[in-house]
Amino acid sequence: MKILVVDDSKAMRAIVKRALSNLDRVAGATIIEAADGKEGFDTVQAEKPDLVLSDWNMPEMTGIEFLQALNDAGVAVTFGFVTSESTPEMHELAKSNGAKFLVSKPFTPESIDQALAGVI
Amino acid sequence: MDTATIDLQQIGADIWAAILGLDLKPSHTRDQHDPAERVVTGCVQITGDWSGAVTVQCAESLARQATALMFGSEPDEVTEDEISDTVGELANMTGGNVKSLLAGNCQLSLPAVTTGQNYSVHIPSAQVVDRVTADCDGELVVMTMLERRA
Repeated sequence: MKILVVDDSKAMRAIVKRALSNLDRVAGATIIEAADGKEGFDTVQAEKPDLVLSDWNMPEMTGIEFLQALNDAGVAVTFGFVTSESTPEMHELAKSNGAKFLVSKPFTPESIDQALAGVI
Repeated sequence: MDTATIDLQQIGADIWAAILGLDLKPSHTRDQHDPAERVVTGCVQITGDWSGAVTVQCAESLARQATALMFGSEPDEVTEDEISDTVGELANMTGGNVKSLLAGNCQLSLPAVTTGQNYSVHIPSAQVVDRVTADCDGELVVMTMLERRA
């Protein structure tokens, strides 16, 4: 399994990677990174990950723009948000664009695990 | 939700506990940093139906410790960029949690980070509506919500 973690914060990418490394559900997965939506989009095309975990609020291309760009390009990949913002409107927008979940920061490994349950 | 009912102290405590494993308690002994201390401030702005900013401020020594925890490294190994990244993300999470509780349609900016000694943060046309002080292993953390009023 290959997982792409997209966040403009290198610190947050480290935290998400560490959380994933503690989950049996994704044991042995290769974790790759991108620093914004545009880099994420290019990385999905090049690396073809099985799962994308993306922040929402990023420079260059936001998380929702990234997801919409994947949809427009006809790229199907399991996609979820990990973001500090969590409003009903964002949940609806994420879902309507095909996101499988939205995990709010701060998160625990358990909350990531719960989000992944039934998705991968 | 009205800003008066937003519990900045609790939001901060939840973030520092979940992400860093650090305990933030309300501080009753200090309410501002010493002018000689190097202080790092992360700031995010909120625009839309509510306009203002949220700041998170701590001494560089605590910021370094927090950065080491984020990156799984030693405090003396972290870089200035990593410290800025960490404090910016702490401000982003704090501001994002505040924004999620505000009524109406709002947007959150990317974080900005300032490091230095004996400086103050001003947001044009904004006034402090909440300022909480917390203690983390004997170090002071200050979280502030400022509201911009036309």
